[in-house]
Amino acid sequence: MDASELQPVLDFLKSLVPFDDLSEQTLLQCCKRLTIGYYGKAQGYVPLDADNPQLYIVRSGAFEVTDPDGELIDRLGEGDYFGFPSLLSGEVNTRVHILEDALVYHLDLESFDDLRKESRLFDRFFNRAYAKRMRHQGRFKAKELTTTSRIRTLMSSSPLTIDMQSTILQAAQLMRQARVSSVLVIDNHKLAGILTDRDLRNRVLAEGLDGALPVHQAMTTTPITVHPNTIVFEAMLLMSEHSIHHLPVVEEDKAVGVITSTDILRGQSSQPLLLIGEIERQKDLPSLINVSKQIPLLLQNLISADARAEEIGRILTSVTDALTRRLIHLNQQVLGEAPMPFCWLSFGSQGRQDQAACSDQDNGLLLAHEPDEHAKAYFEALTKAVCAGLNECGYVYCPGDIMAQNPQWCMSLEKWQGVFEQWVMSPQPKALMHASIFFDMRSVYGPISLFDALQDRVLANTKGNDIFLAGLAGNALSEAPPLGFFRKFVLERDGSEVKGIDLKHRGSALINDIARVYSLFAGIKEVNTAKRIRVLMEMNIINRKDALNLADAHEFIGHMRLANQGHQFTHDQACTNYLLPQNLSSLVRHQLRDAFKVVHDAQSGMKLKFTRTF
Amino acid sequence: MLASFWLKMRLRKQLLKCKHVTLQRYLEALNRVLNLNVNDVELVALDLEMTGLDPQVDQILSIGIVPISHGQLQMQQAEHKLIKIDGSVGQSATIHGILDHHLEDAVSIEEAIEWLLEQTQGKFIVAHHAPLDIRFLQVQFQKIYNENVKLPVIDTLMIERNRLLKQHETLQDGALRLGASRARYNLPVYNAHNALIDALACGELLLAQIQAISTQGQVKIADIAKLT
Repeated sequence: MDASELQPVLDFLKSLVPFDDLSEQTLLQCCKRLTIGYYGKAQGYVPLDADNPQLYIVRSGAFEVTDPDGELIDRLGEGDYFGFPSLLSGEVNTRVHILEDALVYHLDLESFDDLRKESRLFDRFFNRAYAKRMRHQGRFKAKELTTTSRIRTLMSSSPLTIDMQSTILQAAQLMRQARVSSVLVIDNHKLAGILTDRDLRNRVLAEGLDGALPVHQAMTTTPITVHPNTIVFEAMLLMSEHSIHHLPVVEEDKAVGVITSTDILRGQSSQPLLLIGEIERQKDLPSLINVSKQIPLLLQNLISADARAEEIGRILTSVTDALTRRLIHLNQQVLGEAPMPFCWLSFGSQGRQDQAACSDQDNGLLLAHEPDEHAKAYFEALTKAVCAGLNECGYVYCPGDIMAQNPQWCMSLEKWQGVFEQWVMSPQPKALMHASIFFDMRSVYGPISLFDALQDRVLANTKGNDIFLAGLAGNALSEAPPLGFFRKFVLERDGSEVKGIDLKHRGSALINDIARVYSLFAGIKEVNTAKRIRVLMEMNIINRKDALNLADAHEFIGHMRLANQGHQFTHDQACTNYLLPQNLSSLVRHQLRDAFKVVHDAQSGMKLKFTRTF
Repeated sequence: MLASFWLKMRLRKQLLKCKHVTLQRYLEALNRVLNLNVNDVELVALDLEMTGLDPQVDQILSIGIVPISHGQLQMQQAEHKLIKIDGSVGQSATIHGILDHHLEDAVSIEEAIEWLLEQTQGKFIVAHHAPLDIRFLQVQFQKIYNENVKLPVIDTLMIERNRLLKQHETLQDGALRLGASRARYNLPVYNAHNALIDALACGELLLAQIQAISTQGQVKIADIAKLT
């Protein structure tokens, strides 16, 4: 038998993760070792044989896997697997219910083990699925962004070219048509020179040269060129050294593009550090609004550069922080010195440093002491101006009115301490709802000692406070992640199927909740979720394996959320946290499913620890 | 019940009539297991590719077999044999995709028939529209063993026809084709076609049909096999 004789079977296996990692030869061997069975719905259950474990590969039809108590574990369709826990551990503790008539390929233990030996990926796939481990080291390495990036990423490819014998007039018309400031002059497929706007001015107009003359009489001959792999920084040096603005990009003797100083500037302005620098230089609100228009572009650049979700959150938040500080500063220039020290507090995602696209503002003001009428008026004017400025820069007003301009959230240290104390001591539902926002607080502006005075008091109240923590944990458990995916739907824990999933509320937010509960329990000052988890691991409050898994799940779900928003952005769709599973590859579905499982397990752990229930 | 009684009677008659020892032994082996449940018997899903549809004129080009035991198709023993023919595959190549140069490693039809009888010893042949395939085999039995025998075989097309008629459905054109029949059991579409894939497709269809029939009780081989 050769491959073509079993093509449909081979093609099917090849389309599956992790079988796609196997060589054609191995796959063919694997095809030949299959047995194929049919499971009619009327049969009810798949008879799993503990003495003869095998991998079940669903070719068509559908199954439902439950634990011995009847709790739904998974629903499986074409291309899904079951039976592998028994292959790896010898345990058969699941029940497989036949939902639809199904054709199933079976792979026996010996063949399964051979494949695990053949491919590390294959082994890891099933091992991970078995152990619910989901570390994916090195998958999301952030790429270098700043000055080490290469010309290739910024240059305009397919450059405008013209033959050396064409006239100057033709060249000028071509440039007008293409709306560019330069054209490459080509002689016999090789770069002969470059004609720029400046050449047209200095060598043609100013010299009274006839437009009917050949272009080579006006061009710059043998221009300075760069290779596509040249570092952007080097290109910048060349330009400033020779005071030129255009560099032809040449690869293997062929002109492959042009890089202009504008291209470089455009590429750099979306770099976070430069953007922050620019924010700090702006002198009024209109120019700040203008600069902040680059923020969505920055987010897109970071997403397309495959930066870690955690870093993207931190970078975007530092931009928001800079913008807030600049707004405070500009307004103080108008209003004068503040009558007392104060802190600008940020809550929620800005507090946690995990802002993404479409963030609204959550902020408050912490005053050193009780304000008099004069001070009240000052801070009212300041907060109103700053909040309005943020709104105009793209951070829309908080729908829940959690903003410094709301007198309710503009208070003295003493009052803030009192409010938190009330939430902690008598955790009413509303207070617990607030907790998810207010307890993730950070000072963006102001003396750190003032902020510490508030946070230290809050943590002293929450630390080891069983009743409060039980309430907080219970509240955090009101939402659960979905179970996984079934065909093009999201599979809920109760077995229902829905079209899509809100990755924020059913994913990231749940992990934020878990990290918050444990951190308040332990009195940890960190509010960033990844940092909280790290500290919790170091303090041995969450064991290493669970902590790493939770951090991975957080990063993975965050990454998917951002990638989804990147996809929405490039397709001109409204920005949401809503993910449709039909856009996902099979590998990502498996990984997301694993991430959900980690979140659910962590929720169970939290439930057990803080609510004393199972 | 009546049908299975007749099958047994007629198989016995075949046995008495048959003189050639190879075929005699072959039929005896089948006769011994005729009373068993279908899942306890070894079966072999079979498909032939031919140069045309006339058993007297056209030739067998390839044989694909997939054994079924314990109610499961065994890919390990699945085999595909190409067979030498007189002349060229001609126009039929457009249907089965076997070209003349593919047949360079092929075996003679005599070797192939001998191999097939060995592979199916004590096992029932399963084919979709079995009479056609069996007639091609019978022409060869006549040539090689000088015997005119009928075999008890399972025809998935006949099973499907009976099921549909029992459900009082009118049979649409093409409703009994292999692909159309498989679709009714939620079986996947196979785009490629050769004797091996079609044998596999037919074997899967039988497993599905057995599941469907067995809701009314155990299925005995004699209930579904027919002397063809």
